[in-house]
Amino acid sequence: MAEKIGKHIAIYGKGGIGKSTTTSNISAALAEAGYKVIQIGCDPKSDSTNTLRGNNYLPTVLDSLREGNKIHLEDISVKGFGGVLCIESGGPVPGVGCAGRGINASVSLLQELHLFEEFKPDFVLYDVLGDVVCGGFAVPIRDGITDRAYVVSSSDFMALYAANNLFKAINKYAPTGGAKLGGVIANSMKPGYHREIVEDFVEKTGTSIAGYVNRSIDVQQSELYGKTVIEAKPKSAQADIYRNLAKYIAGNEDLVVPNPLGAAELKEWARDWGDRIYDIENGVVSVAEAI
Amino acid sequence: MSEVIKEPRNGCALHGALQTVQEIKGVVPVIHANAGCGVIHYLANKGTSGGNSSYSGLSIPGTAIQERHVIFGGASRLREQIKNTIKVVKGDLYVILNSCESAMVGDDVDAMTREIVEQGEPVLDTLVAGFNGGPYYGYEHVMADIFRTIDGVKPSEKKTDPYLVNILGIIPGKDPYWQGNLEEIKRILEGIGLKVNVFFGPYGGVRDLINAKNAALTINFSRWGELPARILEEWYEIPILQRPSLPLGTEQVLDLATAVAETIHIDEERIKSFFGNEEVYENDLLLRAREDLIEYDNSQTAVLVGDEEQVIRLGRFLNDFLGKEIKAVILTDALKTDEEHVTDNQELLKEITDSIYITSDQKKIEDIIRSEKPEVIFGSSLEKRIANRLEIPVVETSYPVFEKLILNKADAGIRGTISFMEEYITVVNQYEAEKRKQLLSYVKGEKGGKLWQEQSQKRSYSKKLTLVTQSQTKESLSARM
Repeated sequence: MAEKIGKHIAIYGKGGIGKSTTTSNISAALAEAGYKVIQIGCDPKSDSTNTLRGNNYLPTVLDSLREGNKIHLEDISVKGFGGVLCIESGGPVPGVGCAGRGINASVSLLQELHLFEEFKPDFVLYDVLGDVVCGGFAVPIRDGITDRAYVVSSSDFMALYAANNLFKAINKYAPTGGAKLGGVIANSMKPGYHREIVEDFVEKTGTSIAGYVNRSIDVQQSELYGKTVIEAKPKSAQADIYRNLAKYIAGNEDLVVPNPLGAAELKEWARDWGDRIYDIENGVVSVAEAI
Repeated sequence: MSEVIKEPRNGCALHGALQTVQEIKGVVPVIHANAGCGVIHYLANKGTSGGNSSYSGLSIPGTAIQERHVIFGGASRLREQIKNTIKVVKGDLYVILNSCESAMVGDDVDAMTREIVEQGEPVLDTLVAGFNGGPYYGYEHVMADIFRTIDGVKPSEKKTDPYLVNILGIIPGKDPYWQGNLEEIKRILEGIGLKVNVFFGPYGGVRDLINAKNAALTINFSRWGELPARILEEWYEIPILQRPSLPLGTEQVLDLATAVAETIHIDEERIKSFFGNEEVYENDLLLRAREDLIEYDNSQTAVLVGDEEQVIRLGRFLNDFLGKEIKAVILTDALKTDEEHVTDNQELLKEITDSIYITSDQKKIEDIIRSEKPEVIFGSSLEKRIANRLEIPVVETSYPVFEKLILNKADAGIRGTISFMEEYITVVNQYEAEKRKQLLSYVKGEKGGKLWQEQSQKRSYSKKLTLVTQSQTKESLSARM
């Protein structure tokens, strides 16, 4: 493979956990800092870049592929906030076809169209659908397409479960040139024990936290306006959180191969936290004591 | 741990399903797969004994699905293909064969089929993803699915015929003599007063599929017909007569007739008269071969390679009728653990030989043959290489058979006994003749010539020919090679 142009970063996480919001805000912050950024939504829902391009229509790569016509980069990309080049992989309608194969075909097509040679990005962010359910969804972290992956997770068990699955995929592919893990983006953080759950998880899996993103009304409001927080509320504290996160990701070279927990281990770990939370919620012990 | 299988002789489930339906007259297969699947099947059959039937290989309608059909689903492409096929290819029944791609993507083929059936067209579908299994799986599942759905597509009143029997368990193409064997079984069963659904070949067809539910008995001649036979039993209460193999020789055929008579009333006089005539015919012809049998057949040891059914059929005949010693049997179809079938032929196989192997790895097959040192092999064309090395003949009885056209010749039943003996004696005779020719040319050749001269200096000319013994020459011949 030719030398990579720019840093290619895959961002994974359970569905609905805030991947697209986080990725778009990171892209916007990087663009604001003067970098050339491409964001590729690898999700059949094709809504990853909505807030970067004000919800405007953008034909997906696979829509164009389906038409069978010759595809040009300008047909499937649009510049959004701060000049971020927005691309949506797209996919079949729910319940039909193979979305995993779609992502594979889409990424291959972008390479064939010399996207990176043409645009010369500093950063390429791949916003990838939910759990790594099959080989197709592992494409961005396989075959050297990206060299680093981040996972967005809340303190919910299922979100961490999805993160653990991604760790398994990284663990499998990293030895043969796949991406390594840059860290966990702790999203939707609320006061109390939520940070500690994620922190305990990263410690157990030999990974680290890339940043904490608190649950905030600013995010919700900006999304309703079809914008990122960076664009809609540039002076808010939330915007700074994303700027710091972007800065960390831009500079972080501390990449690791995680040690995912086994099924029984994960279950045991979750159960232990279940007991601790019960004690906290029922006032048996204080948060500090429980942790 | 995975291991290398040299020259595996079995295709995939789609391959088996395709070679099954393409031999049913009136059926038009429609392959929902990428373009290569049909062509590979065609090429595989093209080089072997029985060739391809009318709707086969390059002429089989197919969706030839491409990447976009994988990503977005191929169901609408299939709908288009079925409609176009019905317009241009005349058929009594269209059978959609779903492949690996369709299975992985999860195309809703049933919905497509229902849509076309509602328009009054005779279409049914079956999922035979190549990775589900071998050709045996394909045969069983396509036949089972046909029996499950044919009544919805070609409705008819069930009217049991007390003399009608279904024949299952013989996979078209996988038995090189399938066509002749089915004809022979049909001839015998009709000879004792029955009617037969053979399904395949010129005497079979869609009518047999529709009539299957009216049969009084299903005779299943191998483990591989169990599933469709069970469907007929569960849905239409048709009892099953499970046989380990097709019969070979009058004795086994009579045994079959006796077993059938336990379920279906057959006139005893008719059986007697039929078998009386058949016995006279068989004896008369086989008598002519007695000199060949005495000259070449004594004390020959054999190894049998082929599907379980063929191995049992030939093994029992060679043991019981020809008194041959079977040094080993190699089953190329049986699974080491088969929980899907109730058939258990272990005891029967043990009666044939103590050395029973299950493998379709040609390397292992050759190693077994080498260590068993048989004097003749009953197997496929793939065994010719090891046979040439061991300087023994191969009687081709199992798939694949190359360089030989087999259309309606049988190696089962009564007439099949005669043609089997013809084939066996011909192969051995020709092999011996070829060996003699080689010996003679060697003896007269450069190196052999010297031997000839040396011998002639010591002995008188009149004794020369007999003194250059076969063993001496064979020794020299092997040293030269």
